Amino acid sequence: MTRRCLVLAALVAAATLVASLNVSAQAPIRIGVIEPLSGPVAASGNYVRMGAEIARDWINARGGVDGRKVELRIEDNKSDPKEAASAAEKLIVRDRVPAIMGAWGSSMTLAAMPKLEEYGVPMVVETSSAATITKRGNPWIFRISPPSEMEALGLEQYVDRLGVRRADFLAVNTDWGRGAISAFGDMLKKKGVAVGAAEYMEQAATDMNAQLTKIKGTGGDTLFLTTAVEQITLVMKQAQEQRLERRIVTTGGSSSPTQLIKQAGAAAEGSYHIVFFMPWFPEAMPDGKLARAFVDEWGKRGHPFEGLTEGFRGHDGIATIAEAIRVAGRDEPKAVRDALWRVSLVGVNGPIKFEKDGPAGKESGQSKPSIFVVQIRDGKVALPDFLAKK
Amino acid sequence: MSCGAPGTPSRPPAVQSGSAVPAPTIRAVLAALATTAALTLPLWLESPYFLHVVIMAGIFGVLALSLNLLLGYTGQLSLGHAAFFGIGAYASALLTLRLEWSFWLALPGAVALAALAGWLIGRLALKLRGAYFVLVTISFAGVVALVSVNWMELTNGPLGLPGVPAPTLGPWSLRGKRAYYYLVLAAVLLAYLVCRRLVGSRIGRAFVALRENEALAESVGVDVTHYLVLAAVVSAAMAGLAGSLYAHYTRFVSPEVFLFSYTVTMVIMVVAGGKGTLAGPLVGALIFTVLPEALRAVVSWQWQMLAYGVLLVLLVVFLPRGVVPAIAALRNRRAS
Amino acid sequence: MAELLQHLVNGLVLGGTYALLGIGLTLIFGLMNVVNFAHGEFYTLGAYATFAALGLAGAHFFVAVLAAIACGTALGALCELVLLRPLRAESIDTTMLVMIGVWIAMQNGELLIWGGVAKSIPHPFPTAPLVLGPVSIAPLRVFVLVLAAGLIVTAYLLIHTTRLGTAMRATFQDRDTAALMGVRIGRMHTATFAFGSGLAAAAGALLGPVFLAYPSMGDLASLKAFSVVILGGLGNLPGATLGGLLLGVAEEFGAGYVSSGYRDAVGFVIIIVVLLFRPAGLFARSERIG
Repeated sequence: MTRRCLVLAALVAAATLVASLNVSAQAPIRIGVIEPLSGPVAASGNYVRMGAEIARDWINARGGVDGRKVELRIEDNKSDPKEAASAAEKLIVRDRVPAIMGAWGSSMTLAAMPKLEEYGVPMVVETSSAATITKRGNPWIFRISPPSEMEALGLEQYVDRLGVRRADFLAVNTDWGRGAISAFGDMLKKKGVAVGAAEYMEQAATDMNAQLTKIKGTGGDTLFLTTAVEQITLVMKQAQEQRLERRIVTTGGSSSPTQLIKQAGAAAEGSYHIVFFMPWFPEAMPDGKLARAFVDEWGKRGHPFEGLTEGFRGHDGIATIAEAIRVAGRDEPKAVRDALWRVSLVGVNGPIKFEKDGPAGKESGQSKPSIFVVQIRDGKVALPDFLAKK
Repeated sequence: MSCGAPGTPSRPPAVQSGSAVPAPTIRAVLAALATTAALTLPLWLESPYFLHVVIMAGIFGVLALSLNLLLGYTGQLSLGHAAFFGIGAYASALLTLRLEWSFWLALPGAVALAALAGWLIGRLALKLRGAYFVLVTISFAGVVALVSVNWMELTNGPLGLPGVPAPTLGPWSLRGKRAYYYLVLAAVLLAYLVCRRLVGSRIGRAFVALRENEALAESVGVDVTHYLVLAAVVSAAMAGLAGSLYAHYTRFVSPEVFLFSYTVTMVIMVVAGGKGTLAGPLVGALIFTVLPEALRAVVSWQWQMLAYGVLLVLLVVFLPRGVVPAIAALRNRRAS
Repeated sequence: MAELLQHLVNGLVLGGTYALLGIGLTLIFGLMNVVNFAHGEFYTLGAYATFAALGLAGAHFFVAVLAAIACGTALGALCELVLLRPLRAESIDTTMLVMIGVWIAMQNGELLIWGGVAKSIPHPFPTAPLVLGPVSIAPLRVFVLVLAAGLIVTAYLLIHTTRLGTAMRATFQDRDTAALMGVRIGRMHTATFAFGSGLAAAAGALLGPVFLAYPSMGDLASLKAFSVVILGGLGNLPGATLGGLLLGVAEEFGAGYVSSGYRDAVGFVIIIVVLLFRPAGLFARSERIG
């Protein structure tokens, strides 16, 4: 009797053990995503989300990470730093995510950073451009987007060929716009270019005529524009109305040239754009096949083509985190953090590998993304004229 | 907010909370339970996320109480209250970051600066009532917000002020949530007591007289301007207190504190909770801090804000006077 | 000098659009005493309705604009009937709160339906600007200005010369007497709110093609509308018009000559200064409704 009970107990124990093994082997890996999904920049936040979803589905189609499926826990930061911090807290404490991607805007990212340190969870920054994010000494931050300084360096080689002698700036009055003016201004001054006016526009402003009239009076030859595609459209249309004949260069990668052509039409003709992904010539990207596959999948899902210039960030962010979890061998935050220093992969933008940035002992990770320049010519996106004529 | 011509009561007087008296023992037991729960909260509320929500509710509770002083008691709507909150937050952050003051000095400093701003508004808007007062407060908040974004040398502009230090009490750091909870709880109690004393005093009665019938109040010798300025100063000071608490909890201050949405949230908390009552703003703060987080857990992100708007509309339609007066009315009916 | 003239033209065009936003709200806020935070959302709805009519029904531009105005008017009437009427006995803060709820719901509803990407609304006017000496101005903006002026005049005539308008004014001046005289109070409230919302939708339909349509376009519009209303005096249509023009010109010159970062501050400071010296609004007359 006792022996039978013992055997039964052993069988039950074994079964439970096996069952629990099965369960944990199939427990999904959760990755947190914090983006502005409502509010004024909802479009951009949603594009990043769409790119992240493509990455998740591709990873799962290949069998997941170490046999486990990837699940995205998506939170809306409502374009408010306070919400970004709350979202991070919820993801870490309630959803127990080992890593997060976010939070789009620099102030949102900065607001979430203390939570990362408090709980020891790494975050991959996919869009924010403020230099201070990686210089603050937060060892849980890994950025794959370029700070404004890096972007300016990317343009430096073309300044002479563009023929910029006297530049003016018009930027959105946020950390992004101000950072761009500062970084590009320094870069241009080093090249001996005169810097004229530096004007700002509020994020929600729709009428920039005053600023444009002022810029018209400076006699410059190039206008550097840093803002999101909606405001760029308005600036270009209003510049056309005021007959501002000037070369326009947009920075920041959020200009979505395809959308500009659709909405600004002839007013966008001839303008140059710094982008981090060229969906019009995916084969020219560092990993041409991956880029082409991404563009095709995006189109298959019915997402607007205009969103590709921002959507790729979501893909690269999730791909980076998944790779780190694979290298770490487990989805534990500190292990993932350590693994992030060891990852080396190629995303849609190009190679991703983190280098140390910031104060010694508490460095953040910063990758060196590829930077491209395109131009709108004859109503289409093309390689810039100064590159074409060789 | 009184928009009518002076002398015409614009709407029926606010319902007094607690005008019905249930059995004293039940009340005392409930009060004791609530107090024990509040004092021991960090011990039984395990999740740090929930504690985070409670702390934010407390900070907004102080804010809501401050707005209630103006809106509920003097009847003047300030739609620029985020300005006082933001001034308090920035002042506290800058004093601790740039001048390296201790938190315990920076806090009163922030309160004082916010009170000064309140005094300014009070004096500026002396003769203005109703819609005009509202517009001055909005404009003031707008100017302060623009200064915070543009005056880079002082406020670091849109980049904000990261790394605001957590308060320390001797050798102990109040960085952890549990300790901070008690700090916020103390602030809520302080704010509540100040409001209660003020409202129950002669000053409070002057406020109500100002709200109900200004011309009549003046005719019996109530110095209306003086009391309006006083209300603005105390109200702004409390908002500044909330701002300082916010700055040292989130440890990051950026111009987004001046967002109109903060003011709107405050107004929702006061009016939906029950303006002109003491408990109303606190109840409102709790409900409307918990609600968005609850929606986060229950509803997927596409529907969260839409659900929030719809719930707000439903709440107003069914409980137009606010939650606390509705409960009091229920108790009244039960008693009679 | 050329710059000054261009700034002036910019300012007048901008001011015209502010005036258009203000006249609808001055009726709702000035006459009905409703702090309508959702006013900007009717503006947004006007733009999206135009977009939808053009895209779905393939309607002609002017037909789409009319459809948008009709849509705004209808929704305004519905809002008044369902939400404001039951709350009419409540305080102004309660109605304000319900309109805040409507604001949040409408904006996020628009986000859900049309997505966050800004929509460009096609229009039949040429894009090349009209050049008058040193000054450039787009033909579309001239059209908007002309139509806005027309709408303002129509609104004024409606309020001051028709029986409906007289009944409206009577309702809000002295409700009981008006009721005794046979005015249907409920209908007047609905009509006024619907009319004001229709004007906001008209502003959105006209300005949508000038700018772009996106869900949060109404937030700034609401704020400017409130400023214009109070500058001009509550319930004062010509006042709102002049107030709008003044605000537009002041902002333009502030941004052009002082600082573009502080551009909105100029408007705010002017408002504060004006209210300090003329608390009842710039153009208030001794006899005023509301």
